[in-house]
Amino acid sequence: MISIKSLSVRYKSSGVVALRDVSIDIPSNKVTCILGPNASGKTTLLKAIAQLINYDGVVEVNGRDARGIISELRRMLSCSSTLEELDLLGVTVLDVLVYSRYPASRGFFTSEEDLRRVSEVCERLGLSDLVSRRLGELSAGELQRVVLAAALVKDPKVLLLDEPDGHLDVYSKTWLSSFLREISSRVTIVLSTHDPLFASMTCDYYVVLSRGRVVFTGFHDELLRNTSLLKRVYNVSFTSISIGGLRVLIPLNQSAYRDKLMRQ
Amino acid sequence: MYRLYRALYTILAGTVLAASGCILQASLRNPLVDHYVLGTGSGALFAVYATLLVLDHVTLWIISLAAAIGGLSALAATILIAESISGSDIAYVLSGIGVTSLFSGLSVLLLYYVSSRCGYASLMLTGTFIQSRLENLPYALIAAILVVLGYVVLAKRLNVVMLGDDHAAQLGVDPGLTRLLASIIAGVSASIIVSQFGVIGFLGLVTPHTARFLLKTSDNRLVIPPAMALGSLLLFTTDTLSRSLVARVVGEVPAGAVISAIGAPFFLVLLVRRFRGGFT
Repeated sequence: MISIKSLSVRYKSSGVVALRDVSIDIPSNKVTCILGPNASGKTTLLKAIAQLINYDGVVEVNGRDARGIISELRRMLSCSSTLEELDLLGVTVLDVLVYSRYPASRGFFTSEEDLRRVSEVCERLGLSDLVSRRLGELSAGELQRVVLAAALVKDPKVLLLDEPDGHLDVYSKTWLSSFLREISSRVTIVLSTHDPLFASMTCDYYVVLSRGRVVFTGFHDELLRNTSLLKRVYNVSFTSISIGGLRVLIPLNQSAYRDKLMRQ
Repeated sequence: MYRLYRALYTILAGTVLAASGCILQASLRNPLVDHYVLGTGSGALFAVYATLLVLDHVTLWIISLAAAIGGLSALAATILIAESISGSDIAYVLSGIGVTSLFSGLSVLLLYYVSSRCGYASLMLTGTFIQSRLENLPYALIAAILVVLGYVVLAKRLNVVMLGDDHAAQLGVDPGLTRLLASIIAGVSASIIVSQFGVIGFLGLVTPHTARFLLKTSDNRLVIPPAMALGSLLLFTTDTLSRSLVARVVGEVPAGAVISAIGAPFFLVLLVRRFRGGFT
């Protein structure tokens, strides 16, 4: 569905090359993970797919150049983004979600359809009790859920999530992982994360970036067989363990901790 | 007829300044600003005085045009300075103070020369409706039509822009273009009011917050109309009080001075809450 060919991004202000000659195909209706350490180009790649920055190369969506279908792309693709501090302007959770319906919302005022969709998403993400709260009254984890809800309210076909597991506790990460897997049958999801454990709990397909270059693409089992590559990228050793039939990646220091617990 | 004109102009001016405040606060994502805080008012007034000084025969049309240019130039200067130092809400307030001080000082200097040509020029420093005449009507109406058009075209986009530039861009709203359009509409409409009735500060700051507080929402589609009604009511009431009650004791006090006496403490409360993390 999304095909990226020879994509390079150079930031004009700093001259930094954030991405170099990236060519990947992102499978439809799967969870794809852009994995890599800090400053590897994960966020830049998501922004390029979302057409939020200038780039060299081609991003194709359903076989068409994304640059030529911007308005269609705004309706079908959501890209999560951080929300500004807006306490003194009185912005509530409900406001954020209603405003985020913009490309899908018809008419000047909020329609019944807008409210129905916002209500559905709130219920699904456990935000119904928070709708009248202002953004500054939320915890970091609650704010992260609002960001996810804001990306979902326009009912996108493609969902780009920049570090959706940031600020989440273990329970919330587990919940988010199963939620994303559940909706991936209807939505193509591309997420970025630092965390190989969260990635391996959640994703089907992996793109590993290192210093702006793609160093690995492949499905779950292929990545798990390739832990030496992750060691080179992260400078940390990884191992894979099986939890409930799902094999996940953990850094070796966590593995040592697990062994210690088992010995006790 | 004089009283009718005067009542009508307080209503129209209140409408325009309140809407201008809503539009500026939303587009700049800054709860601490209005046309006065951002220096638009003093820039417009300086341009009015300069026009009166330079030209022998001036019409209200020329004065309004000069005010619009002066007001927009001051607004542009404030925005450019604020963005160059951090772009934060406080940077806007500090830049606005600097620009306002500059043009206010220059206006007072010019006032010595223009007061002989324009009897009520000194009252324009704080805003007055004492000179209300039929001739002011087209200009007040143009400013009002401008903000109503701004409301229809921008309100929904401003909601999105309030959430941040990245968020707006991925939803298909160009934040830069929206901000530019909003600044022009808010700046020109407020400047036209300044050209007719002088600088009325803080009305555009107080009324958006009051409307948001009463409605418990930040939705500009819902907030702007009641803010305009509040602005009209507040300006009409203060002008009526200053004309009827205060005038019996000390002579007529400019309505803008009364509004500032209410608005300035409100601004200080906002500033304190901004730093203490409170809410309006």
